[in-house]
Amino acid sequence: MDPLLLGAMVALATIFVLFSGISVAIGLLVVSAGFLIAFDGMRSLELMPEIFFGKLDNFALLSIPMFIIMGASIASTRAGADLYEALERWLTRVPGGLVISNLGACALFAAMSGSSPATCAAIGKMGIPEMRKRGYPDGVAAGSIAAGGTLGILIPPSVTMIVYGIATESSIGRLFLAGVIPGLLLMGLFMAWSLYSTWKSGHAAAMDKASYSWAEKIEILPRVIPFLLIILGVLYAMYGGIATPSETAAVGALLCLLIAMIIYKLWNPRDLWVVLRDSTRESVMILFIIAAAGVFSYMLSSLFITQSIAEWIGTLDVNRWVLMGAINVFLLIAGFFLPPVAVILMAAPILLPIITTAGFDPIWFAVVLTINMEIGLISPPVGLNLYVINGIAPDISLRTILVGSLPFVACMVIAILLLCLFPGLATWLPDAVMGVAR
Amino acid sequence: MAGQSSAAVAQTGRNPFLRAVAALSTLAGWCSAAMIVTAVAITCQMIFIRFVLNGSTIWQTEAVIYLMVAATLIGLPYVQRLRGHVNVDLIPLMLGQRARRALAIITLSLSCVIVGVMLFYGYDYWHFAWKRGWTSDTVWAVRLWIPYLALPVGFALLLLQLIADLVAVLIGADKPFGLKEGM
Repeated sequence: MDPLLLGAMVALATIFVLFSGISVAIGLLVVSAGFLIAFDGMRSLELMPEIFFGKLDNFALLSIPMFIIMGASIASTRAGADLYEALERWLTRVPGGLVISNLGACALFAAMSGSSPATCAAIGKMGIPEMRKRGYPDGVAAGSIAAGGTLGILIPPSVTMIVYGIATESSIGRLFLAGVIPGLLLMGLFMAWSLYSTWKSGHAAAMDKASYSWAEKIEILPRVIPFLLIILGVLYAMYGGIATPSETAAVGALLCLLIAMIIYKLWNPRDLWVVLRDSTRESVMILFIIAAAGVFSYMLSSLFITQSIAEWIGTLDVNRWVLMGAINVFLLIAGFFLPPVAVILMAAPILLPIITTAGFDPIWFAVVLTINMEIGLISPPVGLNLYVINGIAPDISLRTILVGSLPFVACMVIAILLLCLFPGLATWLPDAVMGVAR
Repeated sequence: MAGQSSAAVAQTGRNPFLRAVAALSTLAGWCSAAMIVTAVAITCQMIFIRFVLNGSTIWQTEAVIYLMVAATLIGLPYVQRLRGHVNVDLIPLMLGQRARRALAIITLSLSCVIVGVMLFYGYDYWHFAWKRGWTSDTVWAVRLWIPYLALPVGFALLLLQLIADLVAVLIGADKPFGLKEGM
């Protein structure tokens, strides 16, 4: 059978199976097994456990549970609230300091946790009620945190970037660096929109400055500086050539747990177990999808589907930017329904050859892909961050949260366009720190 | 991903089989968490030896990898019990109670079949490594049946939890897909 037709059948079958409500990982195994039996015979099933194990047999994967533990232990403390409070106390001279502080705290928290819902919950719990109390419109309060939370998967360390690095065999260190400038750019765009819409909707009074004494400014520092030091330490260890991302992550995880226990007094075994349980759940879920997606991509390449699609796209005489546009639409739609990790693992083996043939940089593409996934996090029907906000502030309707988030989606689209116009936004920093990639 | 926000932990009611499986899965979850913690500790020890004592490390990297693989496989049933394996529950949410129940029975049965296949061939793979005395081609030369053991054990426990979930839907101890009625 023509591999292209077979590819279309696999795509349809995958959509059909995943929409049945079966777990993503198990669904991928079902589709893989089905096609392997049909086109390669029963014997090919023998290989499935071996490939499954082989996918997990990789030291780089260790960084996933480690960064998740790091994020979960910080998220279990008041650190998120402390971060934004510290920023607010120090940014008193800036108009709209509160919303600026919240977004800044989201970015900083993202730099520690690598997870979007965790960032959203940690900052939003204190940030949203405070913004509403000071008279910011509900839509801005909810939308800014929903959007700010998505920075979690763009600003390093990012679990999504690790997964992309593993799926495409790209350097995780380089991917992390590529996310920094676009992350800050997005943060800036979010801030600009929040201030503009607050001012425009006649809530300018909310932006009045609060004032804090120096004692108040100094007093909060001991609670946030340790975490900032960990971020710096992790970055130094990773880029100073001292340790691999996995090793750095393990030390980071240990330090964050210790800080949570010492500074935030998290030594009740029950609380510690919650941190461990949540980390285990999240890690096992992601690693299961990684292993199952490994079997899935083995099926794709053993039936020559991956290769044929790349070849076919190569023969099409389309403009590379039209191609990039089409890929973006595809990613966006996939991101509306599936968690980022699943999209990356399923799409990367097919998209990567296409991307490189068309002359795009895979590191740059990782950033574009991640921003697409961020849009999915704050769009219906399964925008996870919207539900997190709904959980924190149940009296703001889902509709208000959604409408409040839409302009931030526009900010993300602008960021993608800027990245297409100026690819250096993503590639300059990794090249400057780690040397130009060959 | 909405599955995590709208579905609750699997319910067991008073059924002794469901409760026994739930307890077993929870135990597996503790083992999985313990293995992750051990992996953190070993990695930190390895870094200490390498960078502080300037020594060389032999077994640590490999041990950490096998611990992570085992933590993943042994953790599967626990995460299934917590309903932590993400799914797309858009269609189940749109269906009525009866259709939703039917769909849950179909997807759970299908899951049991595929996990059964993985268990069968996973056992085969492990048995091969054991019978032939395979070792890893590193200095440490681990007997590979030890890490491979996680394949049959993990999938067997996952199969058990999936069967329990199916039974729970069939006897009405739990809601299909863990979704509340009226959602």
